[in-house]
Amino acid sequence: MSRDRAHAGFGPREAAVNWSFAVPALLLMALVNLLPVVAAFRYASGFHRLSADGRMFASLWNTVRFTAYAVSIETVLGLAIALLLTRPFKGRGLVRAAVLVPWALPTAIMAMAWQWIYNPEYGILGDLLFKFGLVSSPRVAWLASPGSAMAACVLADVWKTTPFMTLLFMSGLANIPDELYEAAGIDGAGPVRRFFLITLPLLKPTLALAMVFRAIQSFGVFDLVWVLTGGGPGGSTRMIALYVYDNVFRYLELGYACTLTLVMAACLLVMSAGILYFTRQKEQA
Amino acid sequence: MRWRPAVLLPFLLAACAKSDAPSSGKTVVRFLAGPDVGGGAKEVIAEFHQLHPELLIEMVEGPAGTGTREDMYSTSFMGGESTYDIVYMDVVWMPKFAHQGWLRPLDDKFTPEMQAQFLPGDIAGSRYEGKTYRVPVQSDGGLLYYRKDLLEAAGIAPPNTWAELAAAAKKLQNPPEVWGFVFQGKQYEGLVCDFLELVWGNGGTLIDEHGGVHVDDPAAVEALTWLVDAVRKDKISPDGVLTFQEEEARHMFQEGRAVFMRNWPYAWNLAQQDGSPVKGKVGIRPMVHGSGRSPAATLGGWGYGISSFSKNPEAAWTFIEFASSREAQKVAYMKSGIIPTRKALFDDPDIVSKSPHYKELREVLETAKPRPVHPQWARVSDILQVHLSAALSGQKTPEAALKAAADEIRPAMAR
Repeated sequence: MSRDRAHAGFGPREAAVNWSFAVPALLLMALVNLLPVVAAFRYASGFHRLSADGRMFASLWNTVRFTAYAVSIETVLGLAIALLLTRPFKGRGLVRAAVLVPWALPTAIMAMAWQWIYNPEYGILGDLLFKFGLVSSPRVAWLASPGSAMAACVLADVWKTTPFMTLLFMSGLANIPDELYEAAGIDGAGPVRRFFLITLPLLKPTLALAMVFRAIQSFGVFDLVWVLTGGGPGGSTRMIALYVYDNVFRYLELGYACTLTLVMAACLLVMSAGILYFTRQKEQA
Repeated sequence: MRWRPAVLLPFLLAACAKSDAPSSGKTVVRFLAGPDVGGGAKEVIAEFHQLHPELLIEMVEGPAGTGTREDMYSTSFMGGESTYDIVYMDVVWMPKFAHQGWLRPLDDKFTPEMQAQFLPGDIAGSRYEGKTYRVPVQSDGGLLYYRKDLLEAAGIAPPNTWAELAAAAKKLQNPPEVWGFVFQGKQYEGLVCDFLELVWGNGGTLIDEHGGVHVDDPAAVEALTWLVDAVRKDKISPDGVLTFQEEEARHMFQEGRAVFMRNWPYAWNLAQQDGSPVKGKVGIRPMVHGSGRSPAATLGGWGYGISSFSKNPEAAWTFIEFASSREAQKVAYMKSGIIPTRKALFDDPDIVSKSPHYKELREVLETAKPRPVHPQWARVSDILQVHLSAALSGQKTPEAALKAAADEIRPAMAR
């Protein structure tokens, strides 16, 4: 409604003015986004190698698993924290600011910190779990076996990017009118019903957007894994971005690296479309 | 493959080192190196400037990470730039760079008579397809560190063979406080270096001079079995060794928590410095080998080459000749502890009195061999890393891991 009203006032003149504001930004976008994409298509080579490239498929599968774990945990956690932080309580401003700290840290630096947390000799994670009686020795080599190495990468990523989700969800929650909750409350709906009948449906566009954002980001994960495991042990945390890097800088195969980035882009397109389609369909139902 | 105009590079580049040409009229010779710890390189350059006031040597002190510096050289050369005249390179970059045509052959300047004065391994690591592309100035090779005090107290002779090491380690260790043997077990290049030493020390080879792949030969399988058993069966190495690079291993050894360690020579000075818990208790010797075989070391080290894109190759050579001389290498040793590549310096009284362990170190370096000199080595190494790591973490048996590696390496080498 409000959108229609805003558009109604545009004459050709306003449109021209509006475009003149947009053009510099669009040009910049074209320069940094479109040009590399076009170049990638131009220089891509070795498409016939893709079907027999075992490392690519293994890396893609690792990346898909990493993305699925990380994004789903981050969504749930982020939503829970956002719900908590929208309730008024003493010192809320401080907590809200503190929650953002992990997100503000550069990934490579926080990955170094997590490497110490996971250190097999003096890492604090093993020590904590030992104190709670959950492991038999404080010396646990988290990054030394395939399953726990992947879990360790996911945990570090969750720690780092849940705040981003929280931030998006908090803004989404702020847009839900309080009247709806009041009305539902008067009709006798409890907190659980209010969450599922009001919060979740109205938050769905934000949810979809946040998940697409995060999925795209974690699909390109590089620095975190690079620092933590280098893709090991036994290739169990090799991600597709590591493979692209190796092709460019270690194997000096720029053409094939371009091909791999196109594969990545295709995967992202499918994934994003999937998430958007999934959330939209439910909205209409 | 050859490079097409590198339109993409600005987008792939994170950083690019380039300084403005000075207007002093001097011929500028530029190269990229790591941080000049100790100031040895600056001293050598200063002495060179005294002799050659017409030349200006510009050393760009780049990041400490060698991979990052390799990327910086690669990106510059992909773009066909003449930013760097001299290429200060790790022994493993050379075949790749030479294959791309980024390096000038130096054979007319660096004659066989001159080469004979250098350690043989360092020279072998400077040659690719019959031509010499590098003048080595820093030697490096993997070796075995052991706790002299612990072995002496138990009346055990320092081990020569793998079996002797394993037996001594089992006897002397007290896990998890003190472990028998630490090495570089993370999935990265260092793991391949450790493995190569055991393969060579078992009479095997990974890739022969004709490009034949022997990764799954019995000698290699046996070598990997030793390493896997150290972690999984004999339990002389901690599980955490799978996350160890050089520094993690050194920390454990230096804290007195390991009896044996495979590492590079740099760890010696650190283990012997004041405040080190193992000061005066450390011995070094060539890496252990198979019974009835001889030891081997994986060659590391650095040297100078000349870029094909350089506009001043003659000036570059003048500097390289000086920087690789006896005098310059001695300065680099005195100031920065750089291990020389000239044999004669290992008998130099000043050096021997300051580093008595150079006698053993020379023995190690005499056995040092370069990693297979092949333009596809990076790819081969990556494949090995994954499968070696898979065997160490128990995902595959040593046989299966090396069979899988060989099956991947054969087509990769043909690329």
